[in-house]
Amino acid sequence: MNSFLKNIKKEFLIASRAGLEVLMPVMYLFIIMVFFNISISYVEKDIIVELIPLMVWISCLLICVLNLETIFKDDYDDGTLDMFVINDRYIERDIMAKVISHWTLSNLPVVIIAPVLSLILGLDVQTTYVLFITLLIGTPTMSLIGSIAAALTLSLKKNKILISIIVLPMYIPILIFGTSAVNNSYFGIGYESEILMMMIIFLIFLLVSPIACSKALKISLD
Amino acid sequence: MNNLLIQLKDISLSRNDKSIIRDMSLDINSSTVSNIYGHNGSGKTTLLKILTGITEPTSGEIINNIDQYGSFAYIGHKHGIKNNLTLNENLLYGDSENFYDQNMIDKVIDTYNMGKYKNYLAKNLSHGQQKKISLMKANISSSRIWVIDEPYSALDKDSVCIVDQSICDHIKSDGAVIMSNHELITNKPFNINNIEIN
Repeated sequence: MNSFLKNIKKEFLIASRAGLEVLMPVMYLFIIMVFFNISISYVEKDIIVELIPLMVWISCLLICVLNLETIFKDDYDDGTLDMFVINDRYIERDIMAKVISHWTLSNLPVVIIAPVLSLILGLDVQTTYVLFITLLIGTPTMSLIGSIAAALTLSLKKNKILISIIVLPMYIPILIFGTSAVNNSYFGIGYESEILMMMIIFLIFLLVSPIACSKALKISLD
Repeated sequence: MNNLLIQLKDISLSRNDKSIIRDMSLDINSSTVSNIYGHNGSGKTTLLKILTGITEPTSGEIINNIDQYGSFAYIGHKHGIKNNLTLNENLLYGDSENFYDQNMIDKVIDTYNMGKYKNYLAKNLSHGQQKKISLMKANISSSRIWVIDEPYSALDKDSVCIVDQSICDHIKSDGAVIMSNHELITNKPFNINNIEIN
């Protein structure tokens, strides 16, 4: 077992003992979807179906923002982050392990459940499939971007709103490409270029985020 | 023969125009124990953080002759352990770089008389027992320099003896220990270089 997998295993072990916390994002998705449907219940069914992908995307974006704070917070509070920053030769690799574990535990359940909910609400299979693909690329990108803001604001006591202010403008391109791809699929237009753009953004932040995070963590601990 | 591991030259640190450390020079040699003592707010913890590289000084020079990763085991005010992991798991997963075999972990647990609590979650242990886990983490690591903020706080008499023995063993193997306390420390089974900080 290499260090990368060891760190992921540790995160999963800790999460498995945190009780029902893992289910919270999915519960939150259910609640937002119910609220959306109640608020637009007077609208014609065809229009509601058109709005479902947008509802799902906004819900996933909000869920992603809400749990960004937790990426490094526990490590900062219990002091393990100090050792992590002092001695880690491959800090970027371990930051990646943390972000991947965070995404898998907080966002992947939502990425899986959201298309199922969309199908139940009447979205066609092809559009649901595109919705799933866009979420599968978009949510890890949002976690990567968010990890930088989470690291930067770590030492601040009330950092949740600040994280949202920092990351939300950076999420706009992902939201635009994600929702455009799904809408194009719904209206039978090509969506490949949008997905390609999302993949490019993902790859850029896959390279940039661990380096930026390591610098931000050092600043936060100073 | 003692080798110079770390040297601080005229280190100063200011925060918001307030001077916290002024022109501090310090040599840390191998096989030595240094106790940095002073009253609350004198900058002891800050100095330890400068030594480990967590905090950057405003001016001055730090010469690190063991410029290698994993050279520090740092135990700050926070214990650096995971509440939702057991004692054993904290030692097993505590170091993201190194892998320790179970025999080695069992040995250090026995040294600290914590065998009974091996499979207890850290959150269910007392403050002193949690402190012992963090000291065990330093023990098990291959770190040459132990930097410990108030190592004896929350420990009972027997545990203090175990920590002293661990420190003795560590300096015999060419390591160095830097600790901070509120007062001058004497009557220990090892020589201490007491350094007052104002």
